[in-house]
Amino acid sequence: MANFIGLIRNENMKIYRRIGSIIMLLLLVGGIILMGVIEKTTTEKANDANWKQAVTKEIKEDKKTLNEKLPDDIKKHVKRNIAINEYRLEHNIKPIQSDSLWGFVDNTSDLVSVISIFTIIIAGGILASEFSWGTIKLLLIRPVSRTMVLFSKYIATLLYAVFMLVVLFAVSWILGGILFGFEGVSAPYLAYTDGKVVEQNMVLHIMSTYGLNCISLIMMVTFAFMMSTVFRNSSLAIGISIFLTMGSSIAIQILHKYDWVKYVLFANTDLTQYTTGTPLVEGMTLGFSLTVLAVYFIIFVALSLVVFNKRDVAA
Amino acid sequence: MSQTPIVQIQNLKKKIGNKTIIHGLTFDIYKGEVFGFLGPNGAGKTTTIRMMVGLMGITEGKVLIKGNDISKNFKEAISHIGAIVENPEMYKFLSGYKNLIHYSRMVKGVTKERIKEVVKLVGLEDAIHNKVKTYSLGMRQRLGIAQALLHSPSVLILDEPTNGLDPAGIREIRHYLRKLAQEEGLAVIVSSHLLAEMELMCDRIGILQNGQLIGVQNITEFVSGEEQKTVRFHVEPVEKAQRIFAAKLNDGVITTGEDYIDVLMEKEAIPDIVIDLVEEGIKIYGISEMTKTLEEKFLEVTGGKQVG
Repeated sequence: MANFIGLIRNENMKIYRRIGSIIMLLLLVGGIILMGVIEKTTTEKANDANWKQAVTKEIKEDKKTLNEKLPDDIKKHVKRNIAINEYRLEHNIKPIQSDSLWGFVDNTSDLVSVISIFTIIIAGGILASEFSWGTIKLLLIRPVSRTMVLFSKYIATLLYAVFMLVVLFAVSWILGGILFGFEGVSAPYLAYTDGKVVEQNMVLHIMSTYGLNCISLIMMVTFAFMMSTVFRNSSLAIGISIFLTMGSSIAIQILHKYDWVKYVLFANTDLTQYTTGTPLVEGMTLGFSLTVLAVYFIIFVALSLVVFNKRDVAA
Repeated sequence: MSQTPIVQIQNLKKKIGNKTIIHGLTFDIYKGEVFGFLGPNGAGKTTTIRMMVGLMGITEGKVLIKGNDISKNFKEAISHIGAIVENPEMYKFLSGYKNLIHYSRMVKGVTKERIKEVVKLVGLEDAIHNKVKTYSLGMRQRLGIAQALLHSPSVLILDEPTNGLDPAGIREIRHYLRKLAQEEGLAVIVSSHLLAEMELMCDRIGILQNGQLIGVQNITEFVSGEEQKTVRFHVEPVEKAQRIFAAKLNDGVITTGEDYIDVLMEKEAIPDIVIDLVEEGIKIYGISEMTKTLEEKFLEVTGGKQVG
């Protein structure tokens, strides 16, 4: 076990001692700062005193739209809005504006997709680079099994993602506080589940947003890792993985009329479809999606392991 | 030289697709010797070395390191080996020291003191904390040797260790490898196409061609293995001397140059022929034994194929 920790430390050293990884970290921090500056300079300060009026007006408008002919999932969404807004009036809880601490942290959670891409870049290169540098020959002539070498690289890649998420949260929180004040720290998040409004801890809400986004992250990073292992070409692995991540939602939208699309990985990476909207294909359940995800995950990992263990190293 | 071999290669074969690359090699390597792998490009030197360190799968046969099968008991077998396969490629963005730390974490029981010791051994104390990208090829080669020696292996395998080094560097490495073999009792396996180097560095060499082992010989036997030697006589006049040689030696092959005659003959016959030459009034300016260099011998054995 001490040996395995050593391997992970090695991989970490190789990740963080390279300029590329540091640049990606700086880009993330830069992105957060940019979002903060735009938010601060472009949005007008919401009229705090009159928020009750604004919410009442919103409820009226929403109720009007409910009478129109609309698809089911939109109606559901509107109903949810009404319920939450009524709860706000009842319990005197201000809505979370985008120019508040938590509003900002919530907004920057979109950057998890950027972290996905950065982690894909790490995953695509972490093994392929050893081949292109030629260092794989010195790496594999140690009393360590190839499985362990591969495993340590995979763990180190995921640790990089975790590190980036922590940076995202911490920088967003601190910057949000500096720009918009820390007074809204205790504001709760209002969740709407099974027709009821529930107060939730904001940190928990952000964590679950990150977590749901991370499902796609983990799957695509594992995919990139597999591509990198099988083809030993980092550009190919990174390119295809990013292309699929970007293009998948469009492709799924086009194909969602077909029943078989539910077996496609990307139809299952967005688990919010079970809590907010309706599932992509009729009859899909959370359990189904988790099973599909697990099957893909096992295939990716198994393929990486088998190919890497069998391969003749002739780099 | 100890009697039990440290490395045993038994009928080692490698097939890629339908093509057989290595056709069954069998040889042993002993403690304290420097063994040279010699062969033209594409002969299978690197493939053999790769199979020996477990980078390539073995189609048939066995590689035993201290009795451990490299493909069945990889961890135990490889822990006795230190190696550089092809060029000493290190992590360029790390310092030399970080590179060594990296490899030290992959084996058990390498202390900071051991790292220091190895760095001193290869003479990199001054540059060890610089990034490897600033290193010269010779320094990289030395760092490569340092990482191979880190875990005090019993077998050191170096693929083309003198590649790209200047003459001083080559001499240093040669001296160093000999010292490791003699004083530390390591079995050192080197491959090189620099034949003159092999001659100075190795105790035994195995000649590989087209995936077959043509022969394993002691270096001294290999170069001067024959009874008859070519002896060069610088004489004047050449024509007259030639006639005397022809009369005296019935089976000697004689070739003449501008001011010399080369004769293939036994060493014992030299004094007699000198007396004859002197009596006939031929002036002798010099007599020298022409030892075949390894290169000539090598070309002879491999059928004059280009070595490179």
